[in-house]
Amino acid sequence: MEAIWLYQFRLIVIGDSTVGKSCLIRRFTEGRFAQVSDPTVGVDFFSRLVEIEPGKRIKLQIWDTAGQERFRSITRAYYRNSVGGLLLFDITNRRSFQNVHEWLEETKVHVQPYQIVFVLVGHKCDLDTQRQVTRHEAEKLAAAYGMKYIETSARDAINVEKAFTDLTRDIYELVKRGEITIQEGWEGVKSGFVPNVVHSSEEVVKSERRCLC
Amino acid sequence: MSDKDDSETPVTTEVTPILGDGNCEPAKNSKSFDQSTEPGSKSGPVASTRKRPEARCSNDPKAAEVLPVQASQAAGKEPVSKEVPQTGWGYWGSWGKSLLSSASATVATVGQGISNVIEKAETSLGIPSPSEISTQVQYASEVRDAGRNNILCVSGPFGIFSTISTAVQSTGKSVISGGLDALEFIGKKTMDVIAEGDPGYKKTKGLMNRNSTLSQVLREAKKKEELWTSSEVTMETDKKTHYGLLFDEFQGLSHLEALEMLSRESEIKVKSILNSLSGQELETLKLELEQLKEAFSLAEFCEEEEEEKKGDEDFTKEITDLFSSLRISSRKVTGVKARNTAYEWIGTSLTKPLAEKEEGEKYLEVESTEQVNKNSIEDIHAFAIRSLAELTACSIELFHKTAALVLHGQKQEVTAVERSRTLSQVTVVLCKELSVLSKEFTTCLTTAGVKENADVLNPLITAVFLEASNSASYIQDAFQLLLPMLEISLIESKTESPQNLEGQRRFDL
Repeated sequence: MEAIWLYQFRLIVIGDSTVGKSCLIRRFTEGRFAQVSDPTVGVDFFSRLVEIEPGKRIKLQIWDTAGQERFRSITRAYYRNSVGGLLLFDITNRRSFQNVHEWLEETKVHVQPYQIVFVLVGHKCDLDTQRQVTRHEAEKLAAAYGMKYIETSARDAINVEKAFTDLTRDIYELVKRGEITIQEGWEGVKSGFVPNVVHSSEEVVKSERRCLC
Repeated sequence: MSDKDDSETPVTTEVTPILGDGNCEPAKNSKSFDQSTEPGSKSGPVASTRKRPEARCSNDPKAAEVLPVQASQAAGKEPVSKEVPQTGWGYWGSWGKSLLSSASATVATVGQGISNVIEKAETSLGIPSPSEISTQVQYASEVRDAGRNNILCVSGPFGIFSTISTAVQSTGKSVISGGLDALEFIGKKTMDVIAEGDPGYKKTKGLMNRNSTLSQVLREAKKKEELWTSSEVTMETDKKTHYGLLFDEFQGLSHLEALEMLSRESEIKVKSILNSLSGQELETLKLELEQLKEAFSLAEFCEEEEEEKKGDEDFTKEITDLFSSLRISSRKVTGVKARNTAYEWIGTSLTKPLAEKEEGEKYLEVESTEQVNKNSIEDIHAFAIRSLAELTACSIELFHKTAALVLHGQKQEVTAVERSRTLSQVTVVLCKELSVLSKEFTTCLTTAGVKENADVLNPLITAVFLEASNSASYIQDAFQLLLPMLEISLIESKTESPQNLEGQRRFDL
């Protein structure tokens, strides 16, 4: 059943080096937290299915980008083919928060003619004592750019699930309303395959009922 | 290189399964291939879904043998054609040209007679039967006009043939007046190149000649497999044996796509750099790029027969060593882990039947042992396919990461040519590993399936070999995608810090 999904969304995860992008993704896709993590080289790939409504699954293809400046020219190339993105900063690192503007500017330039639905993520919220960015100012910044704001922790598994599924739901709504459409030559949204026999879990339920009668 | 385009155009690609290609093992099993497509067998769809486009033509050694003969024949009797179709290996083309220009305008004296020349040349090339040659010569002169077309046809996918023959053609005149040495040399070189063997340049050219990219091929395969899986409503169990789906699950497709993207970008960059250069600078650079290209023609794969299976640590050590000489962190070498897991599994599944037997004697559970064995051939097959897909995906990831690091890594401590050679070695090691692994799995299958019907067992074995062979091809193709990145790296090291480079070269040598 694993292979059945309605759509495939490609999400990109960006933000300064060491804010915890790879750890967040690993927590989400593998359910574990790595104490030590090598810096990402170029880009890495992960995927997971998300059930947004009973029986409706979305396959997320998550592109984990290197935060290091030297790989920027590689990672830039991936904005274009993403429908959604998580823009991370580290709440204990003010610099990474200040750089959020730059990240947004850069994506704006390279995503043309498409658009990316972003969510602003304040990461490492387990380290509240070392906090350098208040929730209030982060929310303000997010609102200014029309983004949602969420605070997460990969280590303590706080809001990780929510960050990804909320974004997925938002994108799904846009797709349903036709504001985002599947396009040839664009990898952001792809329709999944639905097996012709078993359509969705509702039908499975129906047929089971029939059997009972 | 700028002339690569030309070699890409006259391509006749055809979809053929690549048997015994790069990996000598699967060839043995080609006979049993037809069986594998029988509808009932599980491997049927696996075998039929994914065929890798492969450059056609000239696997035939005869074609290669005849070629120089035809070429020199043509050279002797026909005026030298100067429109040198620069294809592929520009090295040959330019070499031929320089030979031509160095030769004076001496008119060809066909005093010795062309057949003499050919005979001598052929003998020096070590071609056995003179009678065979004379028939070839006859044949060649008979169908000379057609033959010329043939040359073109043969040389289509393999630019080298046409350039060699052009070189022979263009030098023909001076050769005859100036002695046989040059012709011998050309002939020898030709034979050397041909003898370098299929893997080498079939691989070099294989990818470039295709109209579709490797990831497209694999993506289509995956789609087909998805469709097939969904229409059959078989779900989990069958998904386990679908190489394409598994390859994607291990993110092989994504890494491949990313690698292709980098490769394309770099290729464009290299071209524009070459276009901006001229004169001596261009010539020097071209020469250096050719050296790089040579490092990309792979070493022979089929010579590992005698090596047999080496110790477990050897592969790990070899790969790690190779990567440390690339100055790339071996922590990124995920393939090692995947491969070790596979071996552990093989280890346990090989000892399992024995242990089972002993326990069976104790507990007298004959039926359950049979059940275990029955399950295990399918299990082994599924695990084999999974392992191959994983190892291949990891290898592609490895190449993708290497590409990123070559382009944006720390300052270079190793030259691009050295890196190319090492990567070529890595490719060989990975492919050998696939071959060894597939042998292990099939041994496993054979052992576990002694009591099985051959109709059940053979398709499974065939599928394992087929996927191993395909895997090796994907890895080799992915390796070829690295060339533009190394070209960039070479150019950058030249332009950015010429003094430093000199120093480093000396240090490294």
